[in-house]
Amino acid sequence: MQRLFGLETEYGIIREDIEHSDPVVESMELVRCHHRPFRADWDYSGEDPKQDARGFRAKMLQQEQEEIEFEEKDRHRPFSFHEMKSDLMLGNGARFYNDHTHPEYSTPECTTLLSLIAHDRAGEHIVRTCARKRNEFLGVPDALQLYKNNTDFHGHSYGCHDNYLLPRHVPFSDLSTHLIPFLVTRQIFSGAGKVGVEEGNDFRQAGFQLSQRADFMEVEMSIDTMHERPILNTRDEPHADRERYRRLHLIIGDANMSEFATALKVGTTALILQVIERGLAPKAAALAAPVEAVRSVSRDISLKIPLRLADGRSISAVDHQRLYLESAQKAFPSSDTEAQWILEQWERTLNTLDADPMQLSDRLDWVAKKWLLEAFIDAEGTDWEDTRLTGLDLEYHNLDPERGLFLGLEMEGEMLRLITDEDILSAMENPPMDTRAGVRGLIVSKFLKDIHKIQWEKITFQGRFKKPVYLMDGLFESQAIQKEVERIRNCQTVEALLT
Amino acid sequence: MMMQFERRERPLDPVEKPRDTGGPKKPDTDTSRDKLLKRMRKVDPKQSERYRQRTGE
Repeated sequence: MQRLFGLETEYGIIREDIEHSDPVVESMELVRCHHRPFRADWDYSGEDPKQDARGFRAKMLQQEQEEIEFEEKDRHRPFSFHEMKSDLMLGNGARFYNDHTHPEYSTPECTTLLSLIAHDRAGEHIVRTCARKRNEFLGVPDALQLYKNNTDFHGHSYGCHDNYLLPRHVPFSDLSTHLIPFLVTRQIFSGAGKVGVEEGNDFRQAGFQLSQRADFMEVEMSIDTMHERPILNTRDEPHADRERYRRLHLIIGDANMSEFATALKVGTTALILQVIERGLAPKAAALAAPVEAVRSVSRDISLKIPLRLADGRSISAVDHQRLYLESAQKAFPSSDTEAQWILEQWERTLNTLDADPMQLSDRLDWVAKKWLLEAFIDAEGTDWEDTRLTGLDLEYHNLDPERGLFLGLEMEGEMLRLITDEDILSAMENPPMDTRAGVRGLIVSKFLKDIHKIQWEKITFQGRFKKPVYLMDGLFESQAIQKEVERIRNCQTVEALLT
Repeated sequence: MMMQFERRERPLDPVEKPRDTGGPKKPDTDTSRDKLLKRMRKVDPKQSERYRQRTGE
């Protein structure tokens, strides 16, 4: 089975030219600025956010009451549900839509880290291009600003979810046992950094922490994603054949600006999932109090404060990650090039974090942000209590190349690149042809006018066709994908495609 | 489009980079640092106060 992953990013959105703006309308109008969309009604029948991976169906989600209230407000708007969602399946296999008042870009399914990074950054470019068009329409330069971050510093968080395809036979209890501790300490290299602390709706100017999302993690496991957020989300929505596959939907991660941080976050997680699948996960990595540990790890920028393990011993966050690294090294003694790269970079990153984290300022977001803020503090003769630092934190994530601090670092050549701008431009137009996203993209390109509705694993054509449904719910083997790509290339009609 | 990791293997190796003597390598250069400070000084001091979002997932 392919190693398959994807990223969903909810972007922060704000109008700077007016005091109060409607985020539903702004997100909707932004998505509608996409100039070459594939438009069809999104098929929501594949979505069931109440199905729990622990083997039951939740009666209700905690966000439902809030959503009912939002729906009440939305009723007064002159738009239908579909218009507000403005759900687009793009020709590159990505989904771009208005989700919970945030523009969301979901990458197509990818098999390699380089492909994933190219598509994640293609999402940034697409969103940025739409913002430029929207500002042109508004006639106010820079009116609309977009942020690839996870908090508004007033207690509201929005996500960047990493997703992984897994065989269904891996018991979910194995995932919860072994993955939760891994995710607690993964933030030492994947955190995007945050000024201050959020507790409920309160913000305290209190130094700097590793992660944007840590303050919002409240339970170990839950199906919920907007309230009492879990370290391990139990939503069981595979977007594939339910009997054979599951999709692990992780909501704990930060939105990374750095290509390297994205690669290491997703790469290490993908490897650890294979380690768990093979029954080779470290035996003594369970934490005594995972939820508390998420916060304590995030707030310890020295990376030295010991964590309590379930067996009573203590361990540093770096050494805790080393337990997982060692298990992966044993599981993949002679691995493919990408796995080898992940293992090498994981080890070197941990070693450098142990010795001097600031050495990683060209590749880890939290370190790059900390370097910038310290440079500002030094130059201005101020300290960490300076309230301007939260604004600088926010601007690190601004997608406007004239304003964004990360983009400033990148333009100065200070951030490590794994891909080229040409790769990003290509990913804006082309799906990964080695996954079912390539098949989907090809069908969209050839038979757009005949499509009635679409979702990740299914395309439904107009009713005039006898069997109008094209399924991709089990299309995860490389050879089968290549064969299907060739077949579709030779198909001249929808009838031939559906035969 | 896909590249091989070998192509960028060396630049990805922090150990091989000549930067073991302290802080970040390039941002220490005056030009970069000054440009970034200039960018930071332009940020509205009230920027994060005005920034309000609805809860997402």
